[in-house]
Amino acid sequence: MDILAEASRATRNFGSFTAVSAVDLAVGRGEVVGLLGANGAGKTTLIRLLLGLLRPSDGTVRLFGAPPSISTRRRVGYVPQTLGLYAGLTVAENWSFTAAAFRRARAAIPGNISAWKNELVGGLPLGAQRQVAFAVALSHQPELLILDEPTSGVGPLGGARLWEQIRQAAGGAAGALVTTHNMEEAEQCDRLVMMAAGKVVATGTAAGIIGDRKATEIHCDDPGRVFAVLDASDFAVQVQGAALRVAAPAAAVAGVISRAGLDAVVEVVPANLEEAFVALAGRPEAG
Amino acid sequence: MWAMIAKEFHELQRDRRTVAMMIVLPVVLLVVFGYAANFKVHDIPVAAVGPGASQAAALLREPTFHVTDVDPAAGESAAQARLRDGQDVIAVVTGGGRPLVLMDGTQLFSVETAESALARLAPTAGTPAPRVRILYNPDLTTSWIMVPGLAGLILVFIGTLITSLGVVRERQAGTLEQLAVMPFRAWDVIAGKIAPYLMVAAVDLVFIVVIGMGVFHVPFVGNVAVFALGAALFLLVTLGMGIMVSTVSQNQGQAIQLAFMLVLPQVLLSGLIFPISSMAAGVRWISYVLPLTYFIQVSRGVMLKAAPISALAEPLALLAVLAVAVLGLAIIRFRRDLAPSSRTTQAAARTAERAAA
Amino acid sequence: MRYGLEEVRVTRGRNVALAGVTVAVDPSRIAVVVGGDGAGKSTCLQVLAGLLEPDAGTVRRPAKEHIGYVPATAGLYRDLTVQENLDFTAAAFGLSRGERDRKASQILEQTGLGRARRRLGSQLSGGMQRKLAVGLALLHSPELLILDEPTTGVDPVSRADLWRLISRAAVDGAAVAVTTTYVNEAARAASVVLLEAGKMLASGTPEQILHDVPGAVGAWPGADRPTSLSWRRGASWRVWSPAGRLPDGVRPVTPDFEDAVVVATLAAEAANQAGR
Repeated sequence: MDILAEASRATRNFGSFTAVSAVDLAVGRGEVVGLLGANGAGKTTLIRLLLGLLRPSDGTVRLFGAPPSISTRRRVGYVPQTLGLYAGLTVAENWSFTAAAFRRARAAIPGNISAWKNELVGGLPLGAQRQVAFAVALSHQPELLILDEPTSGVGPLGGARLWEQIRQAAGGAAGALVTTHNMEEAEQCDRLVMMAAGKVVATGTAAGIIGDRKATEIHCDDPGRVFAVLDASDFAVQVQGAALRVAAPAAAVAGVISRAGLDAVVEVVPANLEEAFVALAGRPEAG
Repeated sequence: MWAMIAKEFHELQRDRRTVAMMIVLPVVLLVVFGYAANFKVHDIPVAAVGPGASQAAALLREPTFHVTDVDPAAGESAAQARLRDGQDVIAVVTGGGRPLVLMDGTQLFSVETAESALARLAPTAGTPAPRVRILYNPDLTTSWIMVPGLAGLILVFIGTLITSLGVVRERQAGTLEQLAVMPFRAWDVIAGKIAPYLMVAAVDLVFIVVIGMGVFHVPFVGNVAVFALGAALFLLVTLGMGIMVSTVSQNQGQAIQLAFMLVLPQVLLSGLIFPISSMAAGVRWISYVLPLTYFIQVSRGVMLKAAPISALAEPLALLAVLAVAVLGLAIIRFRRDLAPSSRTTQAAARTAERAAA
Repeated sequence: MRYGLEEVRVTRGRNVALAGVTVAVDPSRIAVVVGGDGAGKSTCLQVLAGLLEPDAGTVRRPAKEHIGYVPATAGLYRDLTVQENLDFTAAAFGLSRGERDRKASQILEQTGLGRARRRLGSQLSGGMQRKLAVGLALLHSPELLILDEPTTGVDPVSRADLWRLISRAAVDGAAVAVTTTYVNEAARAASVVLLEAGKMLASGTPEQILHDVPGAVGAWPGADRPTSLSWRRGASWRVWSPAGRLPDGVRPVTPDFEDAVVVATLAAEAANQAGR
């Protein structure tokens, strides 16, 4: 597989603060890699390293096989969360501005957004705005796409449609790196790289990362007291429909409940990606 | 690079407030300077009293002077009263030797124009040269008339600009929505919003006056209570304007632009710098609707002339009317932002709650 | 229905924001309204909280003193410290000194903000701001808790903490209404309402919605779109056949909640097109 962007034990310090620590990451042609992590986990710094906006304090970073530079950066398409569009301009005006900036003034507006040609971007619904942002970023045919939470807020069908476009672009001659802290987006990627506090804490497919991890579902008549008892023992309890759910082994949970003299039916269920993430990422800051 | 220019133009043409500022503002400034800004004064109101009043009046010709009253029976004290009450700028007191020309020193430009006009009057044989006495501001010190005016300017800034920013910031942050759902009455929120700015403005005002008196030796010969009344009424008007601005602005940038467009005419047309009496009639009417115009009358009247409340009844009453109108309107608009739910749904909700309980 | 909306209709100018929406919010239960941007989720909550008057329908809510509301954008004063925010909210709801101190300590502990009392709202991370906002809404132990997209844009660890807070409120008896764009959160609710362009596409418990998926759903591993009623899921496609007959090569799968939501949306789209 052709590797488009690669970080090898990349580290970046800001004074005494280590933003990124010995990170390995590779994005190949044709694949969609998800970079998952909380704010402050180092995702943004890592992206900047890959783009050459920052230089690594240690380790290596390669973009299209060479250290990142202005010319290689031109082959990257970036869509930030704020979309990078001018809300006060129409779709056509945004298109021609970007086209002119990348010196491709004659590029024609693609079919899927041409219906909104003369609409102000600010007046379009979010899903449409994201499609426009995406099309504009693709207008110079980049080989690597870097997308920040591309489908956030659009709902499942709108999200699936955006993913169609992402897959189409990635399936062609490009690859995509999607940064997110949204589990649904993460599950759409081919594989994930999970970061916390500057380090990579897990890699692989979503199923692979969850592995054999289990959670516990509790059915009881008095959820209030069971919740209080589990909460007091510092278990992370949540409501799940009419039941309760805890990201902890069933035996421990059952023990606490019975010791409190309460009655409940305890069921083992597979953990979900969010629970795996919390377990691996730990607590970012205390208070 | 051309792409950048084109984009900037497109964005600009859609930003109506900025366009208004760029086009309307220069036009306004041009009109003001063309018609209003006039350091040369004409139609100075003059009264003549004493036995030689009519002869004196005959000498005071248009267009420089405008004789308002000729009263042979009145004397010097009546003339002084007219100056103090602002009815005239000049008063000629005849009888008993040299005629006495009293001038209102708070009307700087009028006095200077009058002085040079008098000097050009050919002395009539047999009539002794007049004595000139400048009241209230004998040395024609500029700071003495500016400080009371600046006091008003500060109140306009705090009242309109800063208050509007305070409310818009809340709207921008989204917390205004939340206040509407909390058990506050609309009045609680409004009063809570206005009160701090009222207090800060009051403190600021005292500062300006004290510094003016201390550093520039501006006198304060009148009644503090009257001054405070005028200031309070004026402040209510400007606060009302601030809240109005906030109800039509979505963000701080818009609020600043709108507040600026409301403050600028007041600076130029309220008599702070250019005398109102010398503005062309077509522009002068604007001064009469600006609240700062009336506050300046009150502040200069009290600080420099010890004008009694009866003399200032007109500006005070007008300020009161403006306060009620502007603040009232502002509160109505603001209430709509806070309590859109009408009584009918709440009553239905209460009934449903009682039924469910 | 203890609290909630019943057949509520809201029009904004020419735009129908809500077209006959019913959302039941009962004590000790979490009701979730899920949908994409512009679906009308915030409008539902604004009507429920009393910020917006519906053109038709009934709204049931308790008095203002018993409502806790957190809008999508704010929920706290950024220029005030954590403690000052707590003090202001406590005073607004008329809590006594003792009550305020007791509940504030509880909230601070539950949100993990115990050591941040003196920090300005603007200095907190996004997740901590949201936790504080929800905490402030819980300060006066409301009967009805209304949260507009509380977890959107929040990091996963804070999101788990937020759900813990929200869950605790529910088991303690509050009626909770939450909006979200995340389908997996809707799956956690006691009742779900799926909105799209102001219309209700599905409503009921997650199990009911799953059970009501019409036709059949399948998976297709190829690179190109198999049918018009298909959508991307990871590296493959999902296919829906309303009649229950999947094309060759498409492997049938048991639909999960996300599938159910997409199918409901596709069905509504198809109905719209047919109506034209």
